[in-house]
Amino acid sequence: MNKFEISRRRSIEALAGFLAGSPLLSGQIDPIRDHARVPGIKELLTAFEFEAVMYAKQTRAVYNYRAYGEESEFTLRRNRLAFDWVKLAENKAGTSNTGSATVDTSTEIFGTKMAFPILVSPTALHGDLDKDGEQSTHKGAAAASNTPMILSNNSSLSFDKVMSAASSPMWVQLYPKQAMDANKAYLEPAIAQGAKAVVVTVDQLATVYERSQHDRNLNATGGGRGRFGGGGPVPAGNPYRISVGRLWYEWKFFEELRTFVKVPIVIKGILTAEDAKLALEHGVDGIYVSNHGGRSLDYGPSTLEVLPEIVDAVGGKVPVLFDSGLRRGADVLKALALGANAVCLGRVPLWGLGSYGVTGVTRVLEIMQAEFVQAMLQTGCTRLSAINRKIVLANFP
Amino acid sequence: MQIALEPAGRIAPVAELLNTYEIGEMARRKVDAATWALLAPADRAAFDRITFRPRLMVNTTGMDLTLELFGEKHFAPLLVGPVANQRRFHPEAELEMARGAAAAKATLVISAESSVALEQIVPLAKAGAWFQLKLEPDMAKSAALAKRAVAAGCKVVIATGGNWKALAALVKAAGAPVVAKGVLSVADAEAAIGAGAQGLVVSGWTERGATGKNEAIEVLPAIADAVNGRVAVLVDGGFRRGSDVLKGLALGAKAVLVARAPVCGLAAYGAAGVQRAMEILQTDLARDMAGCGKANLAAISRDTVKIHRF
Repeated sequence: MNKFEISRRRSIEALAGFLAGSPLLSGQIDPIRDHARVPGIKELLTAFEFEAVMYAKQTRAVYNYRAYGEESEFTLRRNRLAFDWVKLAENKAGTSNTGSATVDTSTEIFGTKMAFPILVSPTALHGDLDKDGEQSTHKGAAAASNTPMILSNNSSLSFDKVMSAASSPMWVQLYPKQAMDANKAYLEPAIAQGAKAVVVTVDQLATVYERSQHDRNLNATGGGRGRFGGGGPVPAGNPYRISVGRLWYEWKFFEELRTFVKVPIVIKGILTAEDAKLALEHGVDGIYVSNHGGRSLDYGPSTLEVLPEIVDAVGGKVPVLFDSGLRRGADVLKALALGANAVCLGRVPLWGLGSYGVTGVTRVLEIMQAEFVQAMLQTGCTRLSAINRKIVLANFP
Repeated sequence: MQIALEPAGRIAPVAELLNTYEIGEMARRKVDAATWALLAPADRAAFDRITFRPRLMVNTTGMDLTLELFGEKHFAPLLVGPVANQRRFHPEAELEMARGAAAAKATLVISAESSVALEQIVPLAKAGAWFQLKLEPDMAKSAALAKRAVAAGCKVVIATGGNWKALAALVKAAGAPVVAKGVLSVADAEAAIGAGAQGLVVSGWTERGATGKNEAIEVLPAIADAVNGRVAVLVDGGFRRGSDVLKGLALGAKAVLVARAPVCGLAAYGAAGVQRAMEILQTDLARDMAGCGKANLAAISRDTVKIHRF
């Protein structure tokens, strides 16, 4: 990104810098009472506000690693823009859903019952944000109407420790390893301990977080990755200086995985109709549309703009999950209207965890759930099966 | 880009630089305002209207960016484009540019208006040298310039400006493949091919100077379609990221010429900055190809990208 481009984060920083130096502001604030005041959890009304608290409470490197995206962050920004390209249609039918109507948001995917079509996406190293790490996330999610959680392959804690912390359903995420025994050694205990599905992440092939690398250059700790690699030193014999650790991926991996994984297998990272069809041919049980929250391929598409072509290609044969960029309940509804069966939230629960721990996770998920119900009512939907493309006006560029 | 966190005026160690914009920022700190005005970043709108369609589960372990152009093998589809009078940017001028290009295994295009005699530059451009001249009304003068460059070891002659008659005369006289630069329409492409050009550079650079609008990437697909492989199509204009280069290749270019990125490297660091600029673009191109499931240049096609309305 060049310095003339505008990002929301940069705008906030610029505005904050301006205000900090402004005599107008210092004239209005009581410097004793309001100095560096962190708001109480109940004062926060949207998921966006949790990000600001998390930013204030965590070290810069811990925040940056989670907030930043790949290279120039075009895709990170586009993920948010895309939700503005889809409008909720007005409820012209006037179907009396304005108050007393009950809304049924429950659903079931792979036998996992959910009160809302919302799961926690797999994200790495919650131990950086909270002393109890993913146990706190799981507790917080479970307290928010038993929200299911997908545990990251890069969890700070083992699957059994996280599983035992709370009662909401758990799935397990995998980054493929070339030695199939390593996948087996990781997945079999998790499945035995109750993982209801396996989510295989297949994007982020040689990714580098350009902006996180600045932390490393500036001698901050944590988060940074090598400039010329996705996670380690430059491999010998690679003339173009990219990390080769994941370049071996091939479709046959899913057939090999199937020989010992008996729970449903979901492929995460699909962004084209062609790949969705190939994934079905290779026997996956679910398609997870994701661009890794803008952390995989810069100038890749936003997930929302490619969701319709993927849903059409899948044709209802398997469930379609969706993530990247969701911050409002209305965003959840837009994704469902374009055909997703459920959405996953990555940064949103992290902002909750990093700001207020367990209660932060619960509160931010409850806000998303409540906003989702409001958006359903606004469009006249009282159950998930009533949500379809007719309730939105999509104008993708 | 968190340049704001750095001490004002600091020139960072070259190994810390992560993208060509940062190299540009270091150049800005090093040169005077008038020189910086020549190097300031271009508009991104045309590139921001193009996204990738990444294909997954494609084995790309043999990642290979090499290609052949006019019988010569290139390490990557990125050449250092022609820039006149490089003493404006570094005291060692084109000599330092040639050292940096060679270190990054990139072919160097030497301008006829170089600050240093081309016979001194060519031996340093160890990954290959091409020559670029502006077609003059005096056809004999252009022919003499081209012959001298070819005799010094330049493999290809790029011609800008002039008319089709002058181009045809150069094709006959040069003794090396001639590439017409500054093509922005199918009609221009047909005329250049008709005059005997063996390659085109789709380019918004005209004798009036760069338009700054990056129109080249916008007209590239139609020109590449019309040319349909009859001659090599190259492109330049506003390429600042590896992803930009991948877009150019997907829309029909065989290779991309970059100038501002290596010139900024030259201004800030000399040869080491040129090398860094070219290596960043090569590495980011390879990374983006891996992300799109392309193990070599032949695998890149029009459906690797999507062009958007806004």
